[in-house]
Amino acid sequence: MLYLQLLINGLQTGALYALIAAGFSLIFGMTRIFHAAHGATFTIAAFVFYEFYEVLQWGLVPSVMASAVAAALFGVLLNRWVYVIIQRHEGSFFTVFAASFGAAIVVQNVVAIVFGKGLVTVNTSLSRSVEILPELYVSPMALIAVVAALVCFGVLHYVFTHTNMGVALRALGENPTLIDVYGLNPRSLGKYAFLIGSVLVVPAAILTAATSGLNPAMGHHVMMISIAATIVGGVGSLRGAAMAGLLFGLAENISLAFVDPQWSEAVTFVILFLFIIFRPGGFYGRAVMS
Amino acid sequence: MLAYLQNIAVLFAINAILAMALNFIMGYAGIFSLAQAVFFGIGAYTAGYIALNVSDSLLVSMAAAMGISAVLSMALALPALRVRGEYFVAASLGLQMIGVTIFSEWKSVTGGLGGLVGVPPPVIFGYTLTSTSEFLVLALLILAGILVVSALLVRGSFGRSLMALRDSESAAQAYGKNVNTVKTLSVAVSAALASLGGVIYAFYMSFVNVEVFTLEMSILLMAMVIIGGTGTLLGPIVGAAIVMALPAALTYLPFIPPGELGTIQQIIYGSAMVLLMMFRPGGLVGGRSKDKTV
Amino acid sequence: MTMPQHDEKVLLEIRNLSKNFGGLQAISDVTLDLPAGVITTLVGPNGAGKTTIFNLVTGHITPSSGTIHWLGEPLMGIAPWRIARKGIARTFQDLRLFSHMTVAENIQTVMERSSWLWQRQTQDMTEKLEQVLQETGLIDKRNARAVDLAYAERKFLSLARIMASDSFLWLLDEPASGLDPRSFDRFVELLKTYAQRGVTICIIEHNLDIVIRLSDTVAFLDQGHILAQGSSDEILKDPHLAAIYFGDR
Repeated sequence: MLYLQLLINGLQTGALYALIAAGFSLIFGMTRIFHAAHGATFTIAAFVFYEFYEVLQWGLVPSVMASAVAAALFGVLLNRWVYVIIQRHEGSFFTVFAASFGAAIVVQNVVAIVFGKGLVTVNTSLSRSVEILPELYVSPMALIAVVAALVCFGVLHYVFTHTNMGVALRALGENPTLIDVYGLNPRSLGKYAFLIGSVLVVPAAILTAATSGLNPAMGHHVMMISIAATIVGGVGSLRGAAMAGLLFGLAENISLAFVDPQWSEAVTFVILFLFIIFRPGGFYGRAVMS
Repeated sequence: MLAYLQNIAVLFAINAILAMALNFIMGYAGIFSLAQAVFFGIGAYTAGYIALNVSDSLLVSMAAAMGISAVLSMALALPALRVRGEYFVAASLGLQMIGVTIFSEWKSVTGGLGGLVGVPPPVIFGYTLTSTSEFLVLALLILAGILVVSALLVRGSFGRSLMALRDSESAAQAYGKNVNTVKTLSVAVSAALASLGGVIYAFYMSFVNVEVFTLEMSILLMAMVIIGGTGTLLGPIVGAAIVMALPAALTYLPFIPPGELGTIQQIIYGSAMVLLMMFRPGGLVGGRSKDKTV
Repeated sequence: MTMPQHDEKVLLEIRNLSKNFGGLQAISDVTLDLPAGVITTLVGPNGAGKTTIFNLVTGHITPSSGTIHWLGEPLMGIAPWRIARKGIARTFQDLRLFSHMTVAENIQTVMERSSWLWQRQTQDMTEKLEQVLQETGLIDKRNARAVDLAYAERKFLSLARIMASDSFLWLLDEPASGLDPRSFDRFVELLKTYAQRGVTICIIEHNLDIVIRLSDTVAFLDQGHILAQGSSDEILKDPHLAAIYFGDR
């Protein structure tokens, strides 16, 4: 029964990780920008939701929308005001990465000043677990998480196959230089990549706010999962990143049956190392030698 | 007052050593590592363990620390460097996280969360180092030594190989550079030098605790290198000085509540990183040296 | 490694070489000989696969089928840096200079083959550096950073690197494109000098002037196939090939 419990917890975590990782992978795959501040987007989305829902008591839908707007704004503006400027004169991997990191540090600490460094939670009856079988506790959150993930991926699939912008984004990911030939602008397409990629963290942020609670440093873990999942899934493959995110969620929880909780984070990285050594291309990608 | 300043100076020297070691790979080879704090830790734990159980010789600790760090770093580098730079960043992040867990859990060697306590003072050529000023001299000597070694390496053929593969890896390969060997060697050098900082730290504090070997520290070191300027010899020293001077300088500003000092400090250096990368990617010392490639 | 004499001995043998990327067939069944001391030019429309052939020879990509032999030894699957140390060197269409290093450093680092932490600077290396700087006219710019050079100077630096590399097969990818007439003449003279010293050169070129002035042999590629090989006269005067080259099939 323990395994079943851990499996369900793992699915819940995994669904959320899949969304976060897909967002990062989308941005990285399509703009080649190592958006280390993706964790900061998550933090902002979560705390904005907390502020509107718990503190200002605005109600669920407006709070969700506020969270989505905040996340999207952060991603798009960071791209426009920082990344684009860097890319204009030099844009090496390092410079963008360092700037992204710096931004993440600033966000984490600003949030700490505004909300304090401790844990805050959003109270909702949906996070209360129900004992559906002897010793098996499931909260409605688990179901919501999985459904939210499926819905988001469904919408994403539709956007990528049936809208002009989506198809153009995929082309951008495949061959950035070819885009110019067709009269499309990589920079403005990048804006959409950041928009969609950033909004993808919102469900995970809200659900985490309602279940485990928030603290300003939560972005670190998100960033690590995003990076690890993008690599294990294969650089450039959204599906791969999502699957890898799910894998990490499951591994993190199921490993609790075998090792102490302190090691569960290490499990994620052991998996990452194994892939780097034996299958650097990940699930779906091809490892590109420089 | 003098003792206070000397203490700051020792810590500054240690940070400068760590930053210089990181600059070696970040600035010259273009390899980004988030695991520098782990090698700092390996140096410290090795020195502490050896001093407590085997020998209080400074040279033995230094040699062991450098050796272990170099070997471990190559274990990280060999698989991760085969592929693109992003993979090394991720792998180093992984090493950093696992490293902290191992430091906290491997009680028999690292003392677990409690750490190693009561590390005896080091002995070199029969002379025991005990006072702060003696440690300051040691730290400065090692810093100077690292500066000299770095200068020799960077200005010589190895430095040229590093910069060549940073500027264009495919061209470097086309002209006979064994890129993997060069990168792996540079990572090993960087780790070995960083471990020296750990050795000094362990003996100076007489106490080794996992709290300074976390991701926070790795990020702080990266900030020092970036702010001071990558790819310059003096940049990391300047960066270390600035980042360390921040908290002291901030205490003089009356409107900042003391509890928020650390937070404000981080906001400042985070912003500095963003602004520098936008307008002065070479850092404070380097200037606008990072133009487009040709 | 001593340079073989100009005796038409075949140094590089490419046999039935093919490469496809996913669904795209870049090269099909290419057979080509590069003999000692001969200048061969590869011509053809864009996308014909010329640079791909270079990438295959230098080991930056591996063939799908076929063989490449250098001095009798197979090159397939060997890492680029090893191939470079066998005496094969190349330039890139986009130059790929070591941008933040100086002219002198760019040339020096090519001569330093060892990966070890420290390598002694020999008298030979110092002399070679001076010689190359002199021949390419970059003596005054020796301490300028590559990124600060003018266009023509960058092209000459690209050539300087290959000159210093002690290689005797040079694969030059559009080495002279965009040069002003005076620099162009200097460039051609330099190439001719080294060819006379025994270097085997293979050039990818669109500039028909270079093709005419330099080539001993011309190979015409289109869509991954070698359509014709012969002297520059034969190839350039063929109306059928000209039609393909200029785009009216």
